Order: sequence, then C-alpha cells, then structure tokens
Amino acid sequence: MLGLEAISAHNGWAMAVTGTIIVMGGLSVLAFIISQLHKIIGLFEKKKKAPPQFIQPQGDIDILNDLEAAFRLYKPLTAALGEHFHLADLYRIFEKENLPHPHLTISALRTAEYLEPLGEGLFSWKKDQ
Amino acid sequence: MELFVEFLKNTGYYLADMRYVLMICVGILFCFLATAKKYEPLLLLPIGFGIIIGNIPFFRGFGLGIYEDNSVLHYLYFGVTSGLYPSIVFLGLGAMTDFSSMLARPKLMLLGAAAQMGIYFTLLSAMALGFAPKEAASVAIIGGADGPTSIFLTAKLAPHLIGPIAIAAYSYMALIPIIQPPIMRLLTSRKERLIRMPDTERPISRKELVCFPIIGVILCCFLAPASIPLLGPFFFGNFMKESRVVDRLAKTASTSVIDTATIFLGFTVGASTQADVFLTVKSLGIFLLGSVAFSIATASGIIFAKIMNIFLKEKINPLLGAAGVSAVPGSAREVHLVGLKEDPGNYLLMHAMACNASGVIGSAICAGVLWSFMMR
Repeated sequence: MLGLEAISAHNGWAMAVTGTIIVMGGLSVLAFIISQLHKIIGLFEKKKKAPPQFIQPQGDIDILNDLEAAFRLYKPLTAALGEHFHLADLYRIFEKENLPHPHLTISALRTAEYLEPLGEGLFSWKKDQ
Repeated sequence: MELFVEFLKNTGYYLADMRYVLMICVGILFCFLATAKKYEPLLLLPIGFGIIIGNIPFFRGFGLGIYEDNSVLHYLYFGVTSGLYPSIVFLGLGAMTDFSSMLARPKLMLLGAAAQMGIYFTLLSAMALGFAPKEAASVAIIGGADGPTSIFLTAKLAPHLIGPIAIAAYSYMALIPIIQPPIMRLLTSRKERLIRMPDTERPISRKELVCFPIIGVILCCFLAPASIPLLGPFFFGNFMKESRVVDRLAKTASTSVIDTATIFLGFTVGASTQADVFLTVKSLGIFLLGSVAFSIATASGIIFAKIMNIFLKEKINPLLGAAGVSAVPGSAREVHLVGLKEDPGNYLLMHAMACNASGVIGSAICAGVLWSFMMR
C-alpha cells in the first residue's frame, strides 16, 4: 500500500495532528509556567519574610519628601537601641523591617537634622520634634 | 599448502566484495570529515572508525560480527539496542545544559515546538512511501535532528533500521552548515534577517534554575510517559548541575559518563552498518526522507517565527526558528553566523540557544509520543 491510502490505513493523519497538538501544547504550557516562575518564587519569598512588628506607614507616604512623617514612624522602631545609637544599627533595623530606601532615608533624616550627631559615631533623634 | 589456501579463504581480502569496499570508503570519508574538516568530530570520528571495523568481512560463525551472539561488539551494541546509551548521553547533556537563556525568553520555546513539525511531516511521507508505521516513526524522528533520540526510538520500534537511521541522523547533524543556511535565506527577507533581538533580559535567579528541571520533568513526563528514559536523565543531570550541592556528580556526568557513552554509541552504531545489512533500497529511502525531515523541521521553525511576528509587538528574528531543531549547539551556531553575515553587530547566539534547548525537550517528547502511538 502506498500514498494517501497508506497514510489513512495506518491512521497517519490522526497521529500527525495529535502529535503536533501534544508537543505544541506541552511546550506552550511549559513556556507559560516558566514565564511565571519568578513570580511564584517571589510570592513564596515574600511569605517567608516575618511580618513587621512595628508601625508601618499608613496610606501612601512619600518618605523621602515627608521627613516629618518618616521621623514619626521610624523613631519608635529604634526604641530597642536606646537613646544613643550608631547609624549602622539604625540601618540594620530599617533593612530588617523592609522599609523602603533605608540608606537614602537615613541620609535625608541626617541632612534635615532629625538625627543629631553626638560625636564618636553616635546619634540620637532630635528631642524637640 | 591446503592449510594456507584455507586460511586465505578466511581472510577479509578473499571475502570482500564491492559493498564492503564502498562502506569502508564511507567510513574513511567520515574520519576525514572529522579530522581534516572538524565536522562534528565527537560523533563522526567514532562512527567513521566503527564503519570501517564493521565492514571488515569475516568468516561467519566465529562470534565476531556485531549481529552475532556472544561477540564483544554484540555486547557493546546492547547499549544501543536497549536504549541505554541514549539515556546516558541525555544525562550528560542535562548536566551540561544551561537553561538560563531559555528561562529568560520563554516565548522562544514555541519555536522549539514548531520545528518538530518536520517529524510529523516525515511520518506521513514515510507511510506514503510504503514504510510500515513503526519504521515510518523511526525515520520521522530524524527530523528532530537529535542522534540519541533517533537511536532510542528506532531501538524500540524498528531495531533493524538503527544503522541507517543513526548514520542519517548524525550525518545531517554534521551537515547543518550546508543544509540549514540556504533554507534560512530562502525563507526570510534581508529585512527579517536584520531584526535585532533585545539585549536586555530578565536576570534568572538560582531558585528558578533549580526549580526548572523539577517542573520540566513532571510536566513533560506526565504528558508523554514514554519519554521518561530520555527526559528523566536529562532533567536529573540538569538538577545535579543547578543544585550545586553535587558538583562532583554533575561534573562526572557531563564529562566522563557522557564521553564514555558517546564513544561506545558512535563506535557500535558505525559497526552496525555492515554492508550486507546496510546497503539496501530502504537505507536509501531513509537517507532521502531524513534530509526531507531535517529541511522541513528547519523550515517549519522559521515559518512559525514569521507567523508569531504577525501577532507580536516586538518582532523576533525568524532565523531563530531554524535553531528549534535539537542539534545542540550546531544549529544555534549556524543561526548566529547567518545573522552575523547580514549584520556584524547582530548577536543571536543566546536567543538561538533558547530555541535549541527547547528543541531537545520537544524532540524527546515527540519520541515518547510516537512510541506510545505505535505501542497501541
């Protein structure tokens, strides 16, 4: 048997169409899953991080442009450090609490004198605020 | 004197005929291409020498030939007929493959799927030419441009055709620089060949690389369980590599293990081309259909890329479709070179590797699908 007759007799058309669909479908699903993989992994990573124990900014506060708000929100976080602290310790707490732009925020708070230098690398929050 | 004459009658010189001489010439040609031209030397050299060994005529019944029970070659050939060597080669391939380019560009995976169309087209062509369904499926898998996959499926479905199919598959893989560029140029315009792929890509995290082989093996092997012997070791090898906790094992799989399997695979496949078994009209048909399969696979990848471009905002270079066949890294390299020829600043290699990697997975799935179809 030869030609189209042979293809039909051996169920060739069905095999070719089904095989094509399976391969295209399989690789499409795999492509879709791997395109979303980083998002799925990201979700798990977010869940793994401990929820913040301190106050979080309520609503949309632009921390860098509203340093007064930043000061009010962040000062309680440093209670455990005592009255005088090193900026490195402050930075560590900001990072641990997943606060946005810790380095920039500390720098801005320092420039705006919300953080007062006490000498020998120690700082304290401005008292009259 | 009588003893001497008897001895002479048992020598290869006396027993040889033109068929053996022709096959030995083919073996020498393969060795020449591998050594002088450096065409796929890792494959062509063991195959070429195997062809020479396999075509030295001998007195039947001594347990010397690859098809004679209890011969050393027969035992070595068991790795081919059982599908053992292809599985080991896939283990090593997995341990060598870096999927990051594919994970960064998942849409290019579709080109790896599209290039498998050559397999199904050839399946129909082989059936139309009078091949039995199992033989047709074995011939069709040459379109996947994957030697171990072709050997594996043929060993399962039509073991008597392993020799011609393996030689055809590996020959066409070695001839990629000759076969693919004209098809690429024929099916694409210069404007299309000049399309630049974006350089910026999403960085792939280690977690993604570790998760991928697990997701891949589950998804693909659940879909086509018959592909487990190929994709199982493939993803296992890749998991060893990406986990970075068994570096010794990954290194062994990607060096000593795959090298050993490649030596015996190539050598025994070459030796299986005994002239009396190999030189048949069917072999000629297999070679003809193999070239059709390979060309259609290349063309379908390119055409599919052009179809994708109709719907995509950010166009992809259709040359990448040619890398959807699973000849790693030969076809990716060729796509890159054709792209460079048009525009010396157009680097397509990493994008082509993404298509290539998905082509390996696609052709293994196809092998599993065809095997399960034929087992019904």
